[in-house]
Amino acid sequence: MNKDKRIIDYDALVIGAGIAGGETALNLANNGYKVLLVEKDRSIGGKMILLSKVFPTLDCAACITTPKVSEIARHKNITIFTESEVTNITKNVENKFTAQITKKPRYVHVEDCTACQLCEKVCPVNVRDQYQFGLIGRKAAFIPFSIANPKAAAIDIENCTLCGACEKVCPTHCIDFTMETEYYELHAKTVIMATGFNLFDPLEMPRYGYNQYKNVITSMQMEREIAPTRPYNTILRPGDGKVPDKIAYVLCVGSRDKTVGNPICSQVCCMYSIKQAQLLMGALPMADVTIYYINIRSFGKGFEEFYQQAKGMGVNFIKGKIAKITEKENGNLILRYEDINEGVLKEAEHDMVVLSVGAKSNPTAKTIFDNGTLKFDQLNFIAQSDLMESPSKTNIDGVFVAGTASGPMDIPDSILSAGSASSEAISYLIQNELA
Amino acid sequence: MKNRIGVYICHCGGNISDYVDVEKVRQAVEHEEGVVLSKTSMFACSDSNQNEMVNDIKEFGLDGVIVASCSPKLHLTTFRNVTERGDLNKYTYVHANIREQGSWAHSDDTDGATEKAIHLVKAAIAKSRYAEPLYTNQFEAEKTIAVIGGGIAGLKAAISLSDKKSTVILIEKNDKIGGHTAEWGDLFMSDEKGNELINRIYSDLAQRENVTILTGAEVASSKGSIGNFTLKIRKRPNNESDPMEIMEVNVGSVVVATGFDHYVPQKGEFDYMINDNIITLPEFKQLVDKSTGNRLVYKGKEINNIAYIYCVGSRQEDGENTYCSRFCCTSVIHTAIVAKKKFKNINNIHLNRGIRTYGKQELLYSESLELGDIYLQFDYNNPPQIATEGKKTVVTVKDILSAGKELTLETDLIVLVTGMVPRADQSIGTMFKLPKGRDKFFNEIHMKLRPVETVIDGITIAGACQGPKNISESVNSALSAATKSYSYISKGTLETEPIVAEINQDLCVWCGKCQEACPFDAIEKQEVNGKPIAIVNTSVCKGCGMCAPICPEDAINLIGYTSEEIMSMIDVLA
Repeated sequence: MNKDKRIIDYDALVIGAGIAGGETALNLANNGYKVLLVEKDRSIGGKMILLSKVFPTLDCAACITTPKVSEIARHKNITIFTESEVTNITKNVENKFTAQITKKPRYVHVEDCTACQLCEKVCPVNVRDQYQFGLIGRKAAFIPFSIANPKAAAIDIENCTLCGACEKVCPTHCIDFTMETEYYELHAKTVIMATGFNLFDPLEMPRYGYNQYKNVITSMQMEREIAPTRPYNTILRPGDGKVPDKIAYVLCVGSRDKTVGNPICSQVCCMYSIKQAQLLMGALPMADVTIYYINIRSFGKGFEEFYQQAKGMGVNFIKGKIAKITEKENGNLILRYEDINEGVLKEAEHDMVVLSVGAKSNPTAKTIFDNGTLKFDQLNFIAQSDLMESPSKTNIDGVFVAGTASGPMDIPDSILSAGSASSEAISYLIQNELA
Repeated sequence: MKNRIGVYICHCGGNISDYVDVEKVRQAVEHEEGVVLSKTSMFACSDSNQNEMVNDIKEFGLDGVIVASCSPKLHLTTFRNVTERGDLNKYTYVHANIREQGSWAHSDDTDGATEKAIHLVKAAIAKSRYAEPLYTNQFEAEKTIAVIGGGIAGLKAAISLSDKKSTVILIEKNDKIGGHTAEWGDLFMSDEKGNELINRIYSDLAQRENVTILTGAEVASSKGSIGNFTLKIRKRPNNESDPMEIMEVNVGSVVVATGFDHYVPQKGEFDYMINDNIITLPEFKQLVDKSTGNRLVYKGKEINNIAYIYCVGSRQEDGENTYCSRFCCTSVIHTAIVAKKKFKNINNIHLNRGIRTYGKQELLYSESLELGDIYLQFDYNNPPQIATEGKKTVVTVKDILSAGKELTLETDLIVLVTGMVPRADQSIGTMFKLPKGRDKFFNEIHMKLRPVETVIDGITIAGACQGPKNISESVNSALSAATKSYSYISKGTLETEPIVAEINQDLCVWCGKCQEACPFDAIEKQEVNGKPIAIVNTSVCKGCGMCAPICPEDAINLIGYTSEEIMSMIDVLA
């Protein structure tokens, strides 16, 4: 189809450059294997690089992710393709995988960009910034976020008006509108799927009023509000810019809920909500923070203690599922729920509501292998063919799964899963004398 | 003495700059003697800033580099590597910690935090002036790897290393391998039983030429460090009358997979060992697995009504085990379902403190609810009360889910859902000096990003010895540990750390104080030129510095932290 298709060869293909894909790539590269790490976004680092702090250590996520990301980016055995997609993977008789890779143009020569941001200043287009989860705007010529890697401008061609202002102002002439999509045919000996998860879209639950009531935000938006690289430099509710003093967390939004097609627990929401509550208590000492929950699932190392610590700090925990949210004229919100401890229906007023959205499978994972050869479970996570003995094995010999592509998990579990997948991949390469 | 020093002061995206005026710090040090470049950075560790530093080193001909940022535990290595990429000796890099020791410690006093940061950076500059280049030596690493513990984690680590063509020595204390997994019958999300799973793995492992399995064996002592550990192993003989077999093995790295103990309730805790109808979760799992026929019989009596009391030995708000044991909710619900399906007339009543069937395990909880299991929830401060009324065992519980109503249940059997506790036998941890957390499980280097590595180079931790885990989580942990242990030594060579203690042989009079102070057994007494003196084994010395201040003759210098460097820092700070 494409006469310009380039043929490339690597030991391992890692799909997805979040924390699991990155860790997998590093483990392979540190043992001498040549890795192609393919990421569909403009930066590597996945969701973790956008977080505020992490539970239960309260390490700043950026501080522990950026060096990791930097190590991945600089590793001599790792090649990174950002803004790229993998399709049509097939396995041939010689145990080799062939994949088609489409690399979209960034319209910026990354190696020449100094991230001076002059293009951002002159660009006349304003759109919502997806890396701040829509809390603020960005330009069509923009640096994705301050700790992005690669840290280079990109042109959002869908919203660009082609006015050329950025091109004129760029001191290194790195902006290039003649860049085209590049096509590659990859040959690799093993494939690791680290395609991650998607956040539940709260628009599927209209009774919580997301996007309808301005002061109802998602947990990922709150994550940005309290991150070191936060958009407002303080915490405020989007409706009127008021600093909130009565914040509610609604847990299990899109989790443990068959009505939205997700009967399972997302495993991380309890803990990130407790973490955010602790950070909010620190940032807004006078604020009340209330967490409405079904069960608190603080099951990991140090988690239960972290939960008890939050209680000690004065975070309110109310056992009760929120049935409905309504908005008052002043932008405050009325939460209707059954208080399980008292066995009565209640209403409570809050000035800001955070929906603790769950984790769902990433549908992109299904488009990667030819003809559905890779198996998925009933929730569209990648199926683990031997859960007890080899959790990272899939139904295809030589294809492994790392991180949340096989189901919800937190960061340490993703790292362990990535360690497991890279271990299996290395063994596979050695055993099949593919190394 | 260095006179072209570059200083970088990090905002840490607000973690520092919210409390420390980083620009003021920069201005305070920019004219210090020897400083030719001073900058601030939003994230000094970011890739773009690292590249800028490399360019600066070359462009300004820097001979010393300082970053004032977070703890050196996080980023000392990062910036040493940056320095090296700028073609400077990486040991000339000096780190100043103005976050953990500055902004975070003094978030209530921004002026004071700024003042302290200035002092810390000036002290780093003072040290930088004297920092000498240091060089590492390469040494050959032993390629054999020891795995301690033959449970599911140890077995999988051994298989994974064997697959990678490493020679493996698997050391199991008991006569049989398999650990707790071998005790289990049916497993959740698997068609295999626990012992079948173990047999499958073991039969594979037993055939491998590069794996030696030692059962009934314990590691008695360990000497050396990464690349060259010597383990002394004591193995019980096959014939009881024979003497203990003692062997020494040399290994490059060690995977510790010593597992967990089941929590055993104290006598009287929920009437355990007082009332015959009260058993623990592992005992119940055995009972369900071993029982045949279509009725569940315990001590000659048919069992119909079973109450499960959750979180026994876990989540103790005022006890020792404050943590959640993670596996028990799923494990007991699964076993209750198995019992209900296998035997007639089983009623399951779960007295819990909030069900934690995280992730896909939630499907099991749903199934249990659909099968009609009853869930009642109690508060830690209002635990279920057990009373014996004739032959019946009666439980009274204040149920949170029905607004605190007091419910009384007649039961045939009570199962105490016991959790995981760290091994009572802590000898392996003590021997390798592995740090433990508040929960007494072994501690990793970093809970988030480095969950299987430990602060002792060359030793990794796998499975439940690091914290409660189910089987597949233990396997993931084991394979991760195997990968890290393999990575340490797969190249066959390692570098020595140049920051070690150095003895001035003229001054030393051998008093033995340094040997007592050394936590790594790196100092030995030796005769040199007819005089007994202290000698440092540089491959074992960790450069901790414990010996240096204790020496009455001031005969010990810590390379990289010489008295000259430290005194110059103190002069600035004083």
